[in-house]
Amino acid sequence: MSEVYFKRPMPHGGKLVERVISDKKIAKKYVQACEKYGAVYDIKPTLHYKRGVPVRNVYREIMSVCYGFFSPVEGSMTSAELESVLTKRRLLSGWVFPYPILFDISKEDYKKLGVSEGDRLLLRLKGKPFAILDIEEIYEIDPEELANRTFGSPETNPEVVREKFDDKHPGWVIYRSHQPIILAGKYTIINEPIFKPPFDRFWVPPRKCREIFDQKGWRTVIAHQTRNVPHVGHEFLMKNAAYTGDVEPCHGILVNAIIGVKRRGDYPDEAILEAHEVVHKAGYIKPERHMVTFTLWDMRYGNPLESLLHGIIRQNMGCTHHMFGRDHAAVGEYYDPYATQILWLKGIPSYGFDKPVNEVEGGLLIRPQNMKEFWYCPVCKEMAYSDSCNHTKEKEKLSGSLIRGLVAEGVQPPTVIMRPEVFKIVVKWWKKFGYPFVNEKYVQWKEEELEVDLPDLD
Amino acid sequence: MEYIIEVFLDDYRLEKIKGSAVEQQIEAVFGGELKVLRVKVGEEVKNEVLKAFESARIDSRACITDTPVAFRRALFEEIAKQKSLSEEVVKAVIARIDEIKELAAKESEYLPPPEIETD
Repeated sequence: MSEVYFKRPMPHGGKLVERVISDKKIAKKYVQACEKYGAVYDIKPTLHYKRGVPVRNVYREIMSVCYGFFSPVEGSMTSAELESVLTKRRLLSGWVFPYPILFDISKEDYKKLGVSEGDRLLLRLKGKPFAILDIEEIYEIDPEELANRTFGSPETNPEVVREKFDDKHPGWVIYRSHQPIILAGKYTIINEPIFKPPFDRFWVPPRKCREIFDQKGWRTVIAHQTRNVPHVGHEFLMKNAAYTGDVEPCHGILVNAIIGVKRRGDYPDEAILEAHEVVHKAGYIKPERHMVTFTLWDMRYGNPLESLLHGIIRQNMGCTHHMFGRDHAAVGEYYDPYATQILWLKGIPSYGFDKPVNEVEGGLLIRPQNMKEFWYCPVCKEMAYSDSCNHTKEKEKLSGSLIRGLVAEGVQPPTVIMRPEVFKIVVKWWKKFGYPFVNEKYVQWKEEELEVDLPDLD
Repeated sequence: MEYIIEVFLDDYRLEKIKGSAVEQQIEAVFGGELKVLRVKVGEEVKNEVLKAFESARIDSRACITDTPVAFRRALFEEIAKQKSLSEEVVKAVIARIDEIKELAAKESEYLPPPEIETD
């Protein structure tokens, strides 16, 4: 009988990475040693290689590595590890990992720092000690080659890539905007950042998340990826996907928002988190079954590749299932709309997967729950699943773009599209930022403020 | 392929097209809770709109979305003027593209929030 119950998967790689020193005495010793014998570097945002606007901040990757979201990755990748990720989507240890994780600096900064392999670098954030990087290797990259190889092309990945990646793709731009010198080595956070509201109440690193699942008695948990405020279609996706499970529907629904630099036209991070929270506060899903969290990451919008990272993050958080929809973490028409589902159901050999992600060596244990779409059916008079409802001519599709259009014109979306409580949250943050969506001004403000403050070590 | 640009209607806009032939083409969607006009355009006009506005995109319904509010406002004005939903109304708006881009640049900084209670 016990075989019919699903077990919580182990962290990807077998063990959660936790590289955070919380003892201030030890942290101060590290800082003093670095200031005396090592070098100090102030983290700065990665700027768009053409337009000069922020597209990424490496601090988010350091946080996600050190708190275990990206386990088993422990730091900035060496050249051999980078090559392995680009060619096979595997770490040198053999565990699946989709993206390069790199600490990049300019040639000018490299000269100024004067560091070499074996040195320890103190990383400051907002002028205060934040983390250390133990430098194992220093090497140079060609950012354009890095960007191209990270995502592939219609020629190299014909199964799913439809268009050549270019500077309209935010993920390609992030890698293209990397600085050429890579300092590879393990990160350790020595001064834990303090999250500002509203982020503070949604910060649940993997170990804590697993503990909460235990406390709640959640054996099965399905993850919902988001970078959007939820419309009713998202709500129905969550509710219906959660019917999967083992002998009963999943006990929990874990919303995990990706927080970081986003595209113009996406919603501000603050609105995304609170809008998901209000779904359970307003009772559309029971709060006992629904939990909102986030991961720091500047989204690469890599559809199947991004789904791998999402699977890794949520497996590390303790989820048993992950819902994947159409155009998962996608932008534009670079990928087949079902590229993620192809990867998890059949594999994509050109990305290193001749079998589904769960069946390859070093693969994932979290189970995919591939979903098609929900639409409003005026005949059924309800939100309907596309593989169930046969009123295909009458269907009315929801899309984020449709809702953005209404919102921008100040038209409150009908309740069947967006819950009024969710709209109120959108307007709350609209009033604060003077704009309902991410724009240049918000990105600039956000990158100066970040989601965190750093405490004094004294 | 045919693409669609949707123009949502509030009471003010409904009044503007009252009694015209366009009024007959209003569609009620989402259980009748939303009223919309749909302008159909071809490949060439679609490309011109996408080229004009970086934010514009095609969604899963083949709708051209995420155009600036200034564009959609001008499009409605043109519909009300020409009393038509033909591709010509979009072409007329594209003819004023510089003026619209200028308005769109301003609106990318600030949009007035609706007056609703949020606390």
